[in-house]
Amino acid sequence: MIGILDIGLGNIQSVFNAVYENGYDPILVTEPSQLADITHFIMPGVGNFSAVSQQLETLGFTGAIKDFIASGNPTLGICLGMQLLATNSLEGGLSTGLEIISAQVKPINEITELPVPHVGWNEAKFTQQHPIFENIKDCRDFYFVHSYHMACDSSENILAITDYGEPLVCIVAKGNVVGVQFHPEKSQKNGMQLLENFCEWDGVWQPSESAHTIDQQVTNIAV
Amino acid sequence: MQKCTACNLPETYETIEFDENGVCNICRQKDYKDEKINWEKRAQMLAELVEKHRGKYEYDCIVPFSGGKDSTYTLWYLVKKFKVRPLVVQFNHGFMRDTLMENNRRTFKKLGVDVISFTPNWKLVKRLMLETLVRKGDFCWHCHTGIFAYPMHIALKYQVPLIFWGEPSSEYTAYYDYEDEEIECVDETRFNRFINLGITAEDMYGMIKDDYQCDPRELSPYTYPPLRDLKRLKYQSVCLGSFIPWDVKANTKIIQEELGWRGDQVEGMPWDEYSYEKIECSMQGMRDYIKYLKRGYSRVSQMVALDLRNERISKEYGDKLVAEYEGRKPPSLTLFLEYLGISEDQFNHIVAKTVVPPFKPDFDNMEYAPKTHDFDRWYREDEQDQGIIYKAKVE
Repeated sequence: MIGILDIGLGNIQSVFNAVYENGYDPILVTEPSQLADITHFIMPGVGNFSAVSQQLETLGFTGAIKDFIASGNPTLGICLGMQLLATNSLEGGLSTGLEIISAQVKPINEITELPVPHVGWNEAKFTQQHPIFENIKDCRDFYFVHSYHMACDSSENILAITDYGEPLVCIVAKGNVVGVQFHPEKSQKNGMQLLENFCEWDGVWQPSESAHTIDQQVTNIAV
Repeated sequence: MQKCTACNLPETYETIEFDENGVCNICRQKDYKDEKINWEKRAQMLAELVEKHRGKYEYDCIVPFSGGKDSTYTLWYLVKKFKVRPLVVQFNHGFMRDTLMENNRRTFKKLGVDVISFTPNWKLVKRLMLETLVRKGDFCWHCHTGIFAYPMHIALKYQVPLIFWGEPSSEYTAYYDYEDEEIECVDETRFNRFINLGITAEDMYGMIKDDYQCDPRELSPYTYPPLRDLKRLKYQSVCLGSFIPWDVKANTKIIQEELGWRGDQVEGMPWDEYSYEKIECSMQGMRDYIKYLKRGYSRVSQMVALDLRNERISKEYGDKLVAEYEGRKPPSLTLFLEYLGISEDQFNHIVAKTVVPPFKPDFDNMEYAPKTHDFDRWYREDEQDQGIIYKAKVE
């Protein structure tokens, strides 16, 4: 069973539709107790980091999600849902994330002069392999809308980067958790494939041995 | 017009691009197909695909079938080489010819297969033909969409996930190429990319409903089924030609020998050279004629291009065929105009709006091509049935 986090914020319906069209019957997770009923968890996200992380805390989701992840179940964060996986974020004042992936979320305009938000189609260049990339070729376009980016401490957690004047991390992973900065639900065929792959994934993944040697550009954007 | 220095296809050809040597991308794809694709690996993928589905459903696979050389070869190959139990699905566009029907009967009997044939409402077909002729200069929308959508509905009804088409589109165009290990999926993306001319069945209903009495359900054979239903079926809709190198001439020879398959005369084509191509439709001559008026080349150029690419004929001989046959007016034009209830002037006026520059057709000086042997048996409408029945006329 696929569960989609619904805390009354963000664009839930398009993620729901994309998973549904892929042939699955997702449920909306509005109560932490529902996490017990699902095998795969998707955190969609549009909104402000500090507001959403406070809301998660208030509704009792923070601990429940951490427990769900600790139990090894596949979890996917989309856009803000990806950023919530980080240690903390500067959006809306320094606030704490789910602390799954060692990273800080920072404004894009600190590193590039290009207009913010970074909106539209852009390429995802893979830096490591992952089961959710099955049948998706390297350097395909996905749809982005974001003003903050995730700066990772370790290239082990980086699966793909995108070039927006400077390289930005656009897919992260750790064990049974994956995060994508773009919106797969709005990314046509490749996005649909990625969601399908996630729904079929058993949650097992190890960073590649060469992950630490990922090109210098990537490590430049670490915290 | 600029033409490919290797195969002679002109710049008005769909998806064409030329490299610095003036060679087109379709020719380059062929080089890639011959040199770079690991066909042994592809053959293994094919065997795995077949075995994965064998014996699990009422039929092992669905083979959409027109009876032309490609679908006949596909059916023969799957039945003979893999001994599959297929369900053959035929969408009858309304213009199937006698020789083709005989070929089909013989093929089905020799191979021992189950067949479903579907023929859509002719009165609606005529209205659809006119609509896309006017909008796109291509009257074949009902056939393009029906051929690719209808078998998918049958796949769902019978719950058979494996669908085998024949020739990949990369043999002719560059919507999909052989490069990058791309296996062409015959899916809704491909359907919307070029098959349906950019017009979905829902669009079509909106376009015709004001003047033509029509229930939206009548458009369902032309509607691609919901992705969710196909995904739940775990469908795999692929071209046999993605797994084995497609050689039209060699394939044709095999079906002639093994199945007694016969070619036919096609209006406007050199009958001796190309008797095996597009024999399934009595409106093929019209299709080629419109292509010529729009783009300045017809199927003669396309067939010559394929032979030049495969180094089967000399450029001189190709030029001779093109000069002699291309751009002739088919005798079936009369029938076509009767079906749609328009005059030749109206027809020319419609087509003139869809011409692809820099080509400029000369409507007034088109010579007739000869009649085919079966011309007099092609469906001809009684006077009272000619044209389209519009709402206003009914009321």
